[in-house]
Amino acid sequence: MLGKGYQLSQQVTYRGMIWLLAAQLVVMLPFAFYLPIWLIPVMLASTFWRIRVIKGESGQPKLVVRLFVIALGIAGVMFSGMTLLSLDTMVSLLLLGFAFKSLEVIRQRDALVVVFIGFFLVAISFLFSQSIPAGAYGIFALIILTGALIANQQSPAQQLSQNSTRSSLKMASAMLIQCVPLMILVFIFMPRFSPLWSIPSFESHAKTGITDTMAPGDIANLSKSDELAFRASFTGRKPAADEMYWRGLVLNHFDGKSWQQLPEEYDTDELKDQLQAIIPWKRNSVEVKGEPFRYEVIYEKTGQPWLFTLTPTTKVDGQTIQFGDYRVMSRGDIQSPLMVNAVSYPDSKRDLELTEYARQSSLQLPSNGDEKTRAFARALRADSSNDADYVNKVLRRFAEKAYFYTLRPPLLGDEDTIDKFLFESQKGFCSHYSGSFVYLMRAVGIPARIVVGYLGGEWNKNGDYLAVRQYDAHAWAEVWLEGEGWRRVDPTAWVAPSRVEGGLEAAVDYEGSFLEGNLFSTHHFKWLDGIREKMDALQYGWRRWILGYDNESQKNLLKSILDKMSSVPLAALVGALFLGIFLLWFAMLGLLGRKTYEAYEHQLYRKFCKRMEKHGILREPQQTPYEFALIASEKLPNKANVIRDFSTLYQQLCYVPGGTAEREAPHQKMRKLLRELG
Amino acid sequence: MFNFQQWVNRRIPPAKEVTLTQRKIFILPSKISMGLMMIIFLLFLVGINFQNSLVYIVCFWLIALLVINIFYTYRNLSGLTIKAISAESCFAGEKMVLELEVSRPVKQRKSAIYFGWQNEDLVELNLQEEQSTRIKLSHSSKQRGRFTPPRLDIFTRFPTGLNTAWSYASMDVQGIVYPEPIEISQPSDQHNSDDDMTDGREISGGTSDFAGTREYQPGDSPKHIHWGQYAKTGDLYTKSFVDYESQDIWLDWQSLNISGTEPRLSHLSAMIIEFHEAHKQYGLRIPGKEIQPSKGEAHKIRCLTALALFGLPQEEASYAG
Repeated sequence: MLGKGYQLSQQVTYRGMIWLLAAQLVVMLPFAFYLPIWLIPVMLASTFWRIRVIKGESGQPKLVVRLFVIALGIAGVMFSGMTLLSLDTMVSLLLLGFAFKSLEVIRQRDALVVVFIGFFLVAISFLFSQSIPAGAYGIFALIILTGALIANQQSPAQQLSQNSTRSSLKMASAMLIQCVPLMILVFIFMPRFSPLWSIPSFESHAKTGITDTMAPGDIANLSKSDELAFRASFTGRKPAADEMYWRGLVLNHFDGKSWQQLPEEYDTDELKDQLQAIIPWKRNSVEVKGEPFRYEVIYEKTGQPWLFTLTPTTKVDGQTIQFGDYRVMSRGDIQSPLMVNAVSYPDSKRDLELTEYARQSSLQLPSNGDEKTRAFARALRADSSNDADYVNKVLRRFAEKAYFYTLRPPLLGDEDTIDKFLFESQKGFCSHYSGSFVYLMRAVGIPARIVVGYLGGEWNKNGDYLAVRQYDAHAWAEVWLEGEGWRRVDPTAWVAPSRVEGGLEAAVDYEGSFLEGNLFSTHHFKWLDGIREKMDALQYGWRRWILGYDNESQKNLLKSILDKMSSVPLAALVGALFLGIFLLWFAMLGLLGRKTYEAYEHQLYRKFCKRMEKHGILREPQQTPYEFALIASEKLPNKANVIRDFSTLYQQLCYVPGGTAEREAPHQKMRKLLRELG
Repeated sequence: MFNFQQWVNRRIPPAKEVTLTQRKIFILPSKISMGLMMIIFLLFLVGINFQNSLVYIVCFWLIALLVINIFYTYRNLSGLTIKAISAESCFAGEKMVLELEVSRPVKQRKSAIYFGWQNEDLVELNLQEEQSTRIKLSHSSKQRGRFTPPRLDIFTRFPTGLNTAWSYASMDVQGIVYPEPIEISQPSDQHNSDDDMTDGREISGGTSDFAGTREYQPGDSPKHIHWGQYAKTGDLYTKSFVDYESQDIWLDWQSLNISGTEPRLSHLSAMIIEFHEAHKQYGLRIPGKEIQPSKGEAHKIRCLTALALFGLPQEEASYAG
């Protein structure tokens, strides 16, 4: 074993220190977006101070000063208004420690520790953002950190050479690239565990997307955003435009102005037991029919637990709960992209029998108000042969009378909003139409409810997946009919069929209100569509294969590999592929190839010495090639020229940086001379 | 019990030239790499608890980095050829200088490789542009006699310091350590003291010392013509030289009034240096060996070597050169 006691210089060199500081800055920079902004000047000041120390412009800070600075930093973190034991606080403290650590880096060992903490922080920054740019920046930071590691091992002499920075960078990049195959293998095959202990929620509770109340105008607000809600990819059958009703929440309670969920329906913690007790999710309440949709959805972070699926969903995996009203929810608020696999049978019959609770909650109406509507409903029902006929009559009214679909509806005030909409303004969008439809149903005792979710989505070019954006938000209705169960009804479709077929953009094309107020949305620029499409596909792949790679995906992947392995040629192919990757990898590492360690010119020179030996001229080890050539040419005067030329070439190759004067093929020339020697 | 050192000795026998190959290179993670392993473990926990794929990726990337590093550090050492050039002779107690020629395979640049011994000299080697270079290492010598530098440690932590790769080279090269020159004052021998200060008889027609000029005679060497005089006078003069034949000084073991072998050798060693520096002619007579009076560098070395090897077993002929 290699012991101690070597007279090795352990000090960090000037260049090593500069590298270290650069790496520190690179690591700390992204935290500026998430943590108190004052950390930045503190970190910069610490770096600047250290640079002054290396340049000899100021002394190494004394212990007292260091302790004071650290205390100040901790106090700063404490008073920044962050929760005491939150991740933010801990990361801030870690960052401060990281920034101050460089002040006391003197020995190489300390430099290595700084780099290690840097690696840790790069990973920690991904707790704050997992976007593609953040990932790319992370790779950049890893390269710089590895470069700092290398620069701290280079000798001062080597660091003085002009391209030392470039060579460190090059080496760091090469090393990290060569790490990739192994990293991917570990990433794919390393078992994934579920969280070991519960972690304090640290992300901001900003909620986006559809919420659990629907006042008139809410969904119009969403329509101003082109943010992504989720992406879905299908295996097998793909839904048609009028089948893409992504069902999210059920709004049962109407207070005269807005629709919302009943408190006991959305408080997830209580819901788990309570609601299931009230409306037990019975398998046999769905009469499964028709062809299923099998799909995979990756939901963006919303800070809310609602999931959107094609209903009725019979099978859904992951951390989800299914409810009696066919909702699917996540077990917690969605704080990072969530991937879910689901199976839906859209042609099924739902709830041929209605539970008492469901009947009551889907018949609720305020005790008074909207008298005109109630009277109208009663009259129309009396005119109809049955409930189904009444539903059709109401819908036909929407289609035939002068109702308009607009994202700029007039304000309806606080009272009798249904009356005002149905008989006065007659202008509105999905929430108006679905709201008044459900009201008209309930007014005559037909169970009905509002469903909010998304309608449609945009297929990417290859049709691999569907991107659903906030402006696809939609509200429709479900009405319960004897013998049929719940039927989906979209009154908006009767007013503006283009909303279903062509999406919101088509439906409001005439008034130009699509993404109004969002002037910089790329959706306004048709020529950007190609780029947008590509970016979107990239995002999807990133979400699907990297961020979304979990226990479930691992199982599926391994299973599909094993399934396919059953056929021998395929197994051979996969085996060959793996072998190929490994060979390529080893080649990259330079582990293959000729095992000759000796440079070719040394081999040739060795041959030359052997020839000389035959002539009785022995080379002493301390003789330089030049000295030996002199002696040899004295003894073999007729070969003197050859000996001299050969030795000169050899010496040039060995000792002259940059090689010989004869660039073309010194080795070939050496071989030729050797032959001449005979 | 397994003795690592003995095993290494068997595995790496002494040689004039050694190429560091796979069987000779050892590699282990350095102590500091434990720090990185701890970080990796922490990151794995973070990855599990936050179910964050990117944290996993960094974690696995670092694992891969640790692995790849083994190859990198190994490669930085492998293929290096170390050839012993010489071990310079020295006096006991001084540093013996070992000269090595180190060359690298054609396409592999070498950085930050250390050569040396524990608590002795350590030399850093970089082979970037050049194919080979010579380095000198010094090792302290204690006893007179033949000296083979101990097994040389060669190690590197390049490129990241996470691993240490090391190897050993036993260089089959010998230097002579002369007895430490210590002059011991003693009642001088009559024979020597008389002649110490006399210059001896002149031998004319010599070539060493300028003795004057005389008129040129045909046949005189043109080298000896006094051109300065010719320029002044127009006549040719020839410079004449003389050699001195000093009376032989004999450094005689028998006549020394010192007890003990080593002190006697040390004293003789000191006297040889003294006479050599005074350009005197001296001979050496020690039991079993007599060296006729002469002078010059080669003679000095012959005498000192005789002293150094006094009483030591004869070495095989192969080392004579």
